[in-house]
Amino acid sequence: MGNIFTVGLFRQMLRSATPVALAALGGLMTEHAGIMNIGMDGMILLGAFTAVAVSIVTGSAFAGTLAAILVGILVGLFFALFVVKFKSDEFIIGTALNIFAGGLTTFLLWAIFGVRGTIRTQAGLPTVNLGIIGKIPFLGEILSGNSLFVYLTVGLVILMWALVYRTPLGFWIRASGEHPATLRTAGISPERMKWLSSTLCGAFCGLAGAQLALGNVTMFSEGMSNSRGYVAFACVIFGGANPVKAYLAALMFGFFDALGYRLQEYNISANLTSMIPYVITVCMMVYVVVRGSRKKAKV
Amino acid sequence: MENIVEFSHVSMEFPGIRANDDISLAIRRGEIFALVGENGAGKSTLMNILYGILTPTAGEVTIKGQQVTSFSPKNAMQQGVGMVHQHFMLVPSFTVAQNIVLGREPKKWGLFCDGTAARDAVRELTAEYGLQVNPDDTVRDISVGLQQRVEILKTLYRGADILILDEPTAVLTPQETDELFAMLRKVVAQKGMTVIIITHKLYEVMAISDRVGIMRQGKLIGVRETAQVSERILASMMVGREVLQDPVEKTGQPGEARITVNDLWVPDNRGLPAVKGLSLEVHAGEILGIAAIEGNGQSELLEAITGMRPYAGKIFVGGRDIVGLSPGQIRDLGLAHVPEDRLATGVDSQASITDNLLVGKHRNPQFTRLGFHMNRRAVDAYAKEVYDRFDIRSSGLETAAGSLSGGNMQKVVIAREFSFDADIYVIAQPTRGVDIGAIEFIHQRILEKRAAGAAVLLCSADLDEVLRLSDRVITIYEGQITGQFDRDHLDKEEIGYYMTGSREEAAHEKEN
Amino acid sequence: MKKRIDWGYLASLSLSVVLALLVGAAIMAVTGHDPIAAYRELVKGATGCQRLSDVLHLFAKRQFGNTIEYAMVLFLTGLACAIGARVGIFNVGGEGQLYLGAIVSAYIGAKMAGSSAWIVIPLAALGAMAAGGFYAWIPGVLKVKLKVNEVITTIMMNTIAIYFCAYLSNGPWKTTQGNRVSGTDTLAANLQFTRLIKGSNLTTAIFASAVIAFLVWYVMAKTTKGYEMKLIGENPRFARYSGLKVDRTIITTMVISGAICGLVGMFEVYGLKGNYQDGISNEYYFDGLLVAMIMRYQPVGIIAMSFAFAFLKVGAAGMELNAGVPGELYRIIQAVIIFFLAAERGVKAILAGKMKGGARHG
Repeated sequence: MGNIFTVGLFRQMLRSATPVALAALGGLMTEHAGIMNIGMDGMILLGAFTAVAVSIVTGSAFAGTLAAILVGILVGLFFALFVVKFKSDEFIIGTALNIFAGGLTTFLLWAIFGVRGTIRTQAGLPTVNLGIIGKIPFLGEILSGNSLFVYLTVGLVILMWALVYRTPLGFWIRASGEHPATLRTAGISPERMKWLSSTLCGAFCGLAGAQLALGNVTMFSEGMSNSRGYVAFACVIFGGANPVKAYLAALMFGFFDALGYRLQEYNISANLTSMIPYVITVCMMVYVVVRGSRKKAKV
Repeated sequence: MENIVEFSHVSMEFPGIRANDDISLAIRRGEIFALVGENGAGKSTLMNILYGILTPTAGEVTIKGQQVTSFSPKNAMQQGVGMVHQHFMLVPSFTVAQNIVLGREPKKWGLFCDGTAARDAVRELTAEYGLQVNPDDTVRDISVGLQQRVEILKTLYRGADILILDEPTAVLTPQETDELFAMLRKVVAQKGMTVIIITHKLYEVMAISDRVGIMRQGKLIGVRETAQVSERILASMMVGREVLQDPVEKTGQPGEARITVNDLWVPDNRGLPAVKGLSLEVHAGEILGIAAIEGNGQSELLEAITGMRPYAGKIFVGGRDIVGLSPGQIRDLGLAHVPEDRLATGVDSQASITDNLLVGKHRNPQFTRLGFHMNRRAVDAYAKEVYDRFDIRSSGLETAAGSLSGGNMQKVVIAREFSFDADIYVIAQPTRGVDIGAIEFIHQRILEKRAAGAAVLLCSADLDEVLRLSDRVITIYEGQITGQFDRDHLDKEEIGYYMTGSREEAAHEKEN
Repeated sequence: MKKRIDWGYLASLSLSVVLALLVGAAIMAVTGHDPIAAYRELVKGATGCQRLSDVLHLFAKRQFGNTIEYAMVLFLTGLACAIGARVGIFNVGGEGQLYLGAIVSAYIGAKMAGSSAWIVIPLAALGAMAAGGFYAWIPGVLKVKLKVNEVITTIMMNTIAIYFCAYLSNGPWKTTQGNRVSGTDTLAANLQFTRLIKGSNLTTAIFASAVIAFLVWYVMAKTTKGYEMKLIGENPRFARYSGLKVDRTIITTMVISGAICGLVGMFEVYGLKGNYQDGISNEYYFDGLLVAMIMRYQPVGIIAMSFAFAFLKVGAAGMELNAGVPGELYRIIQAVIIFFLAAERGVKAILAGKMKGGARHG
């Protein structure tokens, strides 16, 4: 079988990484605003369900994606209502949201479509051919012909980087998490920034769900987010809430996820290989902390 | 001179306290007005109203002839009010320029921050007012004095012509204080600004202000022309009586060393050295006082001795090397500890008074059955006895410690720590935010311990307290001991010099 | 630490439960189901009683036995979560600990077929507790020594454990008995717990669970260790300053929490399934976690609420069967209760803030 590092491996890496990266882009907004958002998994799941449901009804993957973003926004507002307005415990609300999303999607899958487990849709997000670039051996084969959002995500990463580090809004959001009193004395409401970042996070998670269900595959299955929301959170932490670094962390997750698939071809149990990305995520979390304390010791 | 700010019958009530009580006060354009009073007198509350952070429960505020209808920092800023808070309002990870323009960022292409314009604006300001800062430094990394400068520049950038400074010198070195005052005089003289400065240091009032307002227990006691009063008059107005605590008799006979510190190095929270090669001894039967301005390593020193912070060097407590010992193991050597921050360290604010008084003794046989079952009856009886003995006042022993007033919370800490069978006491800020009656009570308890032969290491931001109680005083500046004073040479002014690191200057001046 | 019943909280809780049930009814109505009929099926599904007179035979009803059994799972997992929360560490990894406990105990039972139950069952219990405890020890140490966020690590470790167990039960530990395609060997009949109600899930494990629940409550409410745990959870800095062994207590508590979860896994194997199989726990731990959260980590409340939620959950299964309403409604209702509780507390706090006058962040 020879080389492990095939075109397929890297294409799978991009596929696996994209939903995680999109969710991480949302998660870093709440992280900057000082909200510990562990409810992303539920947000992704609701987004995935909405995307598939609407795409089945309308026959359009774009309508499904748009609906997923809208639902994400609503869930983000809902989350902010509790965490910002009611000052509820972020951990409790996040956990409840995840469980709520799991129950609701399964319930609605049954109630609307009369199905348990999995539902397929005909509509999928388009793939993009890069034309001449696709002709380049290996690299071109990897980069061309991927799902639309694989490319758009890269653009969104840059956009979010600019937003966070180059616009007033980005400064305000970061200040609202790091030192809210300062922002308040500057005449800007930190609460408003938290609302905004939470809503944005919902939108990104909705989009992540849409990509997961309509980009990577064309179906919804119960619990399909499969802890990706937490992985995204880990990527945010690992990347120090920097969009570019978080994206790289998501690519790393994608790589190990893809490696898992690839290793199955060597007759290694799928159960074992599926563990790999999650083990890596735990290692990432540990590494961040160890690196952080090293830095401190050096100074 | 015209009035630029007018308070008219302003009151501010918080649950349980009236922080401002019917205050009427006028500030004149172009003056430096000092607002003095003890901790908790209501100075900061009044200024937070002016800056729009608080909305008064009664009364009116007029700025430049316009009555304030809606209190918010934004509105206050529009009226030209700027405030430099005691705890700086700066985002640590932002640069100096980013902090200064926060909320009013210059833009390019309608959307993005214009970093160059921001830096230029800062440079312009620094040139105009002679306040040197580097716009590209990260605020986290610059000194406290510079951070304050950034705060002032921030208000100037926002176009403030009424500048409120809340205890600006508490964290400054004497040189920095001088520079600050020079700068304030300059902006008043050249730019026609109005400055309101909150402080409780009376010599500063005398040095800088044109007029002074004195507050006590939420009331404005009086307003005077600074030239017509003395520190002594101000002091008596502040506390409502002549401040003359009975002198303490210092007849202790020091015994053997109970705490020995040798070439100690302790890092602060950022990993930078806060204590730098410090050595000291505390003997049985004496109180060793530490005089230092906040942030000079004294907190880290006490935390190292009590096992709360890792260190390099040698510390002996009760003759034993405490390297690697936990706070609990150090307590077992006979040490009790009153921490400087009672809310973060001294109590469990969610737990009852009883539970807070008990901890440390809870495994004693008298409070347990079979070694693990808690004997609630014995615990309650014990707590009641301590509660009464230390005159803690609350709605009951089941009250959560967090709902107590500062003074009563401190009494809970003192009561617990002073009930241990200890002969070494490490005490930080024993009376911060405590009313005068309780201060005397706490001082007496400390003196009792000394009389009983305990070794006491005392650290307080209140220099008078240190001088009153201590047999010996050391001054610490930037993590090093700068001076040692025995009981016959406790001169406040001189200790003040040494506290600020000006050992050589002080010595020099004496020669002259 | 004197406990008085918090009537105010009980009132908000009752209100939230009623409102959540109404939300459930609304969801059913919108999706074209008859809520009243469905809830009737729910009651029947949880108790086996159709008429009031059936209550006399409650203890013979299969459904009732199932309800009690699930209440057992809920209060054990809920208490496991609560002891962690008491010292300030959130064990979200109970699911993985449960899986590991299940498979290790199943493996021990399968390997020791033919031995006396008196030897095998204690060994299996120890094995399950050791497996669950060890798996909780890892995030515990990471949290205490390195300050790694335990929520993320434990969640990840759930997924890892479930895959790992799937690997074992489909690989090296897979049964060789002909009638099964996956899972471990079926336990010998003498090793399986006795069923207390015929045909129901309720087994003798309930007695062991009752003892564990009592012990957890006793330690938390009545002992010096429980007192120390509370202080450590509420203000770890204060606890350390006061001389308590903070790190060690947190790690030990986490291990005990994991051990309890492991034991729940064993109860599922020895009481219910008879071997280890994939999906042995259907997010049971998260159900327990929600109960613990709703009852604010108070042991007595958790035990009481477990019965109510087991009633809902088991009843919901009956409702799915007979009224065609998906049982997941139960999860929705559970989460909605939390939202209502949080909202009520939030609104109250906001109103209280307004009453005090315009003070903002005084």
